[in-house]
Amino acid sequence: MINDIARRLWLSVFRVGWPRTRQTRVEAMLSSFVLHVHPTWVRVHALRPTYTLGLGLVSFYLFLVLTVTGLALMLYYVPHPDAAYRSMKDLEYAVTFGMFLRNAHRWAAHGMVAVVFLHMCRVFLTGAYKAPREFNWVVGVLLLLLTLALSFTGYLLPWDQLAYWAITVGTAIVAYFPVLGPQVRYLLLGGHEIGAAALLRFYVLHCLVLPLAMAFLVALHFWRVRKDGGLSAPPGRLHRRVLAWPHLVFRELLVLVLVLVVIHAAALLFDAPLEEIADATRTPNPAKAPWYFLGLQELVRYGAIFGGVVVPTGLVLALLLLPYLDTHPRGVGVWFAPERRTANAVFVAIALAVVAVTIVGTFFRGPNWAWVWPW
Amino acid sequence: MGVAVVKPQGLGRRVSPGLLLVFGLLSVALVATVVWAVWKEARAEWRVWQGRYAALEAGAPVTAEDGARGLQQIWLPDLDRVDRCTSCHLGIAEPERAGAPQPFRAHPGRWLEIHRPDRYGCTACHGGQGEATSYRGAAHGPIPYWPEPMASRELMEARCGTCHRERRPKGTDWLARGRALMADRNCTACHEVPGHDAAEVRAPRLDGLALKVPPSWLRGWLKKPNGYLPKSRMGDFRLSERDVEALAAFLLQPHGKLALDRTDWSKADTEKGGELFRASRCVTCHEVNGRGGTLAPALTHVGAKASRDWLYSWIRDPHRFQPKTLMPRFQFRDDEARDLAAYLSSEYGEAPEGFQASDAAPSPALAEEGRGIYEKRGCYSCHELEGFPALARIGPKLAAIGDRVLEPAPLVARGIRTTLPNWLFTKVSGPERVLDAARMPTFGFAEDEAAAVTVALLSLRAREAPPARTTRDPVRVPPAYGSPTSGGKPYEPQGEFGALVRRYRCLSCHTIGGSGHVTATGAPLSTVRLDRIGSQLTREHLERYIAKPYGVRVALPERMPHLNVAPEEARTLAAYLSTVMVDDAIEGTVPVDAVTVARGKQLFDRHGCVGCHIVGDKGGYVGPDLNGCGARLKPGWAVAWLLEPERWKPGTLEPDHGLTRPEAEALTAYVLSLPARKAKGAGR
Repeated sequence: MINDIARRLWLSVFRVGWPRTRQTRVEAMLSSFVLHVHPTWVRVHALRPTYTLGLGLVSFYLFLVLTVTGLALMLYYVPHPDAAYRSMKDLEYAVTFGMFLRNAHRWAAHGMVAVVFLHMCRVFLTGAYKAPREFNWVVGVLLLLLTLALSFTGYLLPWDQLAYWAITVGTAIVAYFPVLGPQVRYLLLGGHEIGAAALLRFYVLHCLVLPLAMAFLVALHFWRVRKDGGLSAPPGRLHRRVLAWPHLVFRELLVLVLVLVVIHAAALLFDAPLEEIADATRTPNPAKAPWYFLGLQELVRYGAIFGGVVVPTGLVLALLLLPYLDTHPRGVGVWFAPERRTANAVFVAIALAVVAVTIVGTFFRGPNWAWVWPW
Repeated sequence: MGVAVVKPQGLGRRVSPGLLLVFGLLSVALVATVVWAVWKEARAEWRVWQGRYAALEAGAPVTAEDGARGLQQIWLPDLDRVDRCTSCHLGIAEPERAGAPQPFRAHPGRWLEIHRPDRYGCTACHGGQGEATSYRGAAHGPIPYWPEPMASRELMEARCGTCHRERRPKGTDWLARGRALMADRNCTACHEVPGHDAAEVRAPRLDGLALKVPPSWLRGWLKKPNGYLPKSRMGDFRLSERDVEALAAFLLQPHGKLALDRTDWSKADTEKGGELFRASRCVTCHEVNGRGGTLAPALTHVGAKASRDWLYSWIRDPHRFQPKTLMPRFQFRDDEARDLAAYLSSEYGEAPEGFQASDAAPSPALAEEGRGIYEKRGCYSCHELEGFPALARIGPKLAAIGDRVLEPAPLVARGIRTTLPNWLFTKVSGPERVLDAARMPTFGFAEDEAAAVTVALLSLRAREAPPARTTRDPVRVPPAYGSPTSGGKPYEPQGEFGALVRRYRCLSCHTIGGSGHVTATGAPLSTVRLDRIGSQLTREHLERYIAKPYGVRVALPERMPHLNVAPEEARTLAAYLSTVMVDDAIEGTVPVDAVTVARGKQLFDRHGCVGCHIVGDKGGYVGPDLNGCGARLKPGWAVAWLLEPERWKPGTLEPDHGLTRPEAEALTAYVLSLPARKAKGAGR
């Protein structure tokens, strides 16, 4: 009797029984909303962890973790200068699992910036942006920018000195853009100073606008992966395929558990920083942008227009146009294809330069942006 | 691209066992992290302490709320504080926990009765991070990123001072001393300090300085002020020899239009001068040889400082030289003034070390340089000088000094520990220790004095307590000597009476309606307020006393100086005081029949009044002599005083015996009936 009800309930939701046979496995993938984004059959090549490193999947899981922890944090957070900092203190000291949530959110956010960047590197180095995947690369670049924007808007919310001055520096870099820069900064802050209006705008962007945009582009990104023929693979070869159930689904689940374990451990071991309450009259020396913009801040030191405008605009434009400029069809689906030696070398050089200036800005710059040794 | 159905190699129908094993291990790890998170939350410090407190209480009777304990917090919206300290300090308000181990021990003393925890919380007084629920987070000691760690025992009074804005907050020692010192050294002349007037000390005008002091004295003074006055309010400006010469040259230039009065010194009688010095009670305000008052400068070496002619001219009319001086214009005859000046010159003419006469006057060529130093070091902040404008205050505002954030690098370079209290202490002890080019003088504070000033400075916080939470001294304004009267508020005496008040400088010691000079301790020198004096004392007594004052309270060191007020002036003053300076509420009479007087005598004996007051030839010296006081006191006042002494004079030694009005009236009837002592004459 109860068995019967349970079975009917299962079927009403999943339409098929537990997928055991080839047929039910195909049906499962086709009939489930969650699973239908996957193909029924998947190339063995795409399942190799050494090919994808699972970076796109990890990015997506981090986004999920951020959504869940972020929603929980929203229950306690008040986006006003009088209350924001106290919200942080309440989370730390009075809310059950408050600090755990905040830590998980913080570390997942930092992790996501890094992983999305690495994912882009993987896609470039395996030539995976080439036809027919040009547009999905563009979507990917937009997702990278959205990730940075989400992280940046979230950075202000604790309303401590770290947040306040990082955003001060970050929005100052924005203002270097000729003509539009100051206007964009004004729009972003809702004024000339970082105050209640800026906090509210960053909050709305962080909790509503950017996550929705992100969700939409992620869906598009996934959809395009399927429509563009699944993950990239060397053309012209006969690829072995296996059923997505269980091989792909299981691996995805495994990566999810891995991500959760890592985030949990990080959240339990390391507390998110929180400095004194924001004080517009006390400028820390040095005032630093969030770490992923410290490369830019370092470059701004060599020239405001150079570091604040030329380099970031050039990089973003180059990334967006890349698949349309590089029309050479060879070298897809393998790491460091010999045909792509020059392209890979240039890309690796630029990526390493970005990492290098970021490291310099983060660890080697002290008061008055003078060189210091981090040890 | 056709679908190639190939028998998969390695990837069979099932997931490989190796992958399953990895998944299994990761799942275990995931469960472990979740358990870890829950355990961490369950073992939060405050929960552990609450468990131990429950164990502690197990022996004690369990009250209803013990079961319902959880995170405790006191929310004080007006102070913008949330204090969760009581989540662990569970016995803080339970007297029976006096001996319990921390964090359960009851608060010592009776502080929580005065400052109820639900109204004041914990961190308002103690500092620390109230939101925190861990020992470290609460900032029991300094922690990074929390600007307000708990105050150490030594600095606790600075925290009191944030709400208690009086000059001498009750029960404080360091704070009161520090605030008094800040007023005494005139910190406010250069710094804006909340709770202090612009200029607390009347430093002398420097016009006509050349008429008064010899170059030798001026050089010595500029080099080392406390070489002349051990308790000098002026600090040591650490001037170089050249700066001293230049400044002396500038100051000894003729400034202003003052001229000295001349007299025939061959007729001077120092003997008579000495008698006059004692009879006029100069030591009420001036110290000589280490004894005497503090309202005015010590006269121990005055002969080495001021010329004879200047002393003579000064005694005749001090207000001509220093319009804002507190010193009354005594009603001396010219020969009396001459004798007194001669006495001071000869008796107190010995120059202290470093002030010996030298003939050379400073070179006038240096005067312009001296003017620059005068301006740069902010001399004008305390001293007025004809032809020199009063410029803006030279020092920074001290309003938020207690929350100042230090730039550590320069301090570390000098080996100064970079805590705010230590920086303040070092700066106050010797500004040159913090900054070579410091303009602030060295006041030569002893270590404990510097510590007291540090405590007072630390009480000046960036965010003041809300007005409803602060206590302040009653508003007092300095007397308007030497400036045109405005008829403004608070009370400013006008007309004939006003002219006499200014001439005799009544408001240097007394107050009327909040107007009057206060000493560094925040109180006027005389405890006698004049606001209702006409209802307290009889008109006849006032007139007699003003003309010829005597010691009413024998034990009191400060006595009214003998001003030689002319009889008609005394009459004017007494008439005004007894018609205007009255309080109708305390006017009244008492029955003087024999029964009442007898009852009063009983009460007098029962309460042991004679322990403090003299009646006949016996009694104590703490309170006023009561013989013949019927000629002095008005009965209504005596009754009011006996009923509520603390109301009229806070801190008085007169005990409140809790008398009923008929008892007070009987006691008054008896006391006012006491006859005068014959030997001392009608004046008593």
